[in-house]
Amino acid sequence: MWIAGFSRVVLAGLILIATAANAQTADRNAADAALVGRVKDTVIKELGESGAIDRAVDAGIARYIERQRAEAEQRERREADKRAAALRPVTKGRDHIRGDAAAPVTLIEYSDFECPFCKRFHLTAKRLVDESKGQLKWVYRQFPLDELHPGKARKEAVASECAAEIGGNGAFWKFADRFFELTPSNNRTDIDTVLPQIAGEIGLDKSRFASCLDSGKHDQRVAEDVKDAVASGGQGTPWSFIVSKSGKKYPLSGAQPYETVKQLFELALEKK
Amino acid sequence: MNLRIAFGQVFAHPSYAILAGLLAILAFLLAVWFPNFGLIGEVFAESTTPLSTALGIALSLLGGIATNFSLLSAGYTIAIAILFGLTTAMIVFVVKRRRIAAVGQSIAIGSGAAASGVLGIGCAACGSLILGVVLPFLGAAGALAALPLQGEEFGILSVVLLFVSLLLTSRGIAQSIACPLVGAPTADTANSV
Repeated sequence: MWIAGFSRVVLAGLILIATAANAQTADRNAADAALVGRVKDTVIKELGESGAIDRAVDAGIARYIERQRAEAEQRERREADKRAAALRPVTKGRDHIRGDAAAPVTLIEYSDFECPFCKRFHLTAKRLVDESKGQLKWVYRQFPLDELHPGKARKEAVASECAAEIGGNGAFWKFADRFFELTPSNNRTDIDTVLPQIAGEIGLDKSRFASCLDSGKHDQRVAEDVKDAVASGGQGTPWSFIVSKSGKKYPLSGAQPYETVKQLFELALEKK
Repeated sequence: MNLRIAFGQVFAHPSYAILAGLLAILAFLLAVWFPNFGLIGEVFAESTTPLSTALGIALSLLGGIATNFSLLSAGYTIAIAILFGLTTAMIVFVVKRRRIAAVGQSIAIGSGAAASGVLGIGCAACGSLILGVVLPFLGAAGALAALPLQGEEFGILSVVLLFVSLLLTSRGIAQSIACPLVGAPTADTANSV
């Protein structure tokens, strides 16, 4: 009997203790939540007033922009590498080469006979090859811009190929040198007079030259060069690459100064 | 007259003179380096290329203004850079004083001038930019040959537009300091009170 009474007392005590403990926990939780709320408000207020949030947001934006920029740069570089890889390798049978064919550095130029900047760049490239002591060879490829120089640039490109066919590599370069020397550029060349005149001056058989010009047999070759120029990223003339022996390619757009081309040649020479 | 007053107002503050100078230099660098951004990126990104070499190449490319531009295109490229610097600094001056409405037209014309300038500078060398990007997009590549200056007209147009924009901005600045506030008491009305 007393055991049952004792048990009831103990049970009631336990319930009381548990209830009190629960009440205490609830009070503490409420106090903690209020404290957390106050701390949060204070921290946010402090951060707001000190400008830390603004700075953090700014830093986040800056990091995002930087990431985007780096990705864009990488994309651009991959594209450039792809374009450079599209450049047709130099072959002695196919290409017009000036200088030592075994030279470690190569200047590949896509050029238009009616472009005044190509005329200017022709002298720059010639001077560099002459001064390079066999370290630089110059490859000339056709890039007539029909949109700018309709009817003439392409015919002149074909004429230079005819010169090469009849007189060999030397005749090609004689033709190019003399053409740029003689003509005013910008589609003002009187091709009916100038082309036979140059052919005669450089010692080509004039009738063979004329029939070659009319045959259209080099049209395809010129078209292939134009296609190569565009595939490698060319958007205007002169469009060039300075290529090291190891194959590193530096693209160069326009008739840039002698100093620039020389520095690029020296840089490419170091890459061998 | 407006131009002189506005110049006096704006460039009396050295910060605006510096801003105009920096913007002009930036525009010039962009114009001359534009065809060779790829090359510049290449030489600077290459870890084996000494910084001095990369800088030397970038600086030497500035000589392109003499070799890769005609006399006309070099002239308008420099003029565009200077006018762009001046106009933008003056627009910033006005905007900072919260009088954007006064230069709204100038900003619109200036934007047109910038677009035309890009085309003009793109036409400086044989075909660059114009040939490769803009004209095929517009379907008008052949039209370039029909222009008497083969696209350099865009550069000249840009100079004219920038100059108009500069004049309008100047007028906005000069008139804002010359005109009395509407409804404000004049000397007569003030005396009569």
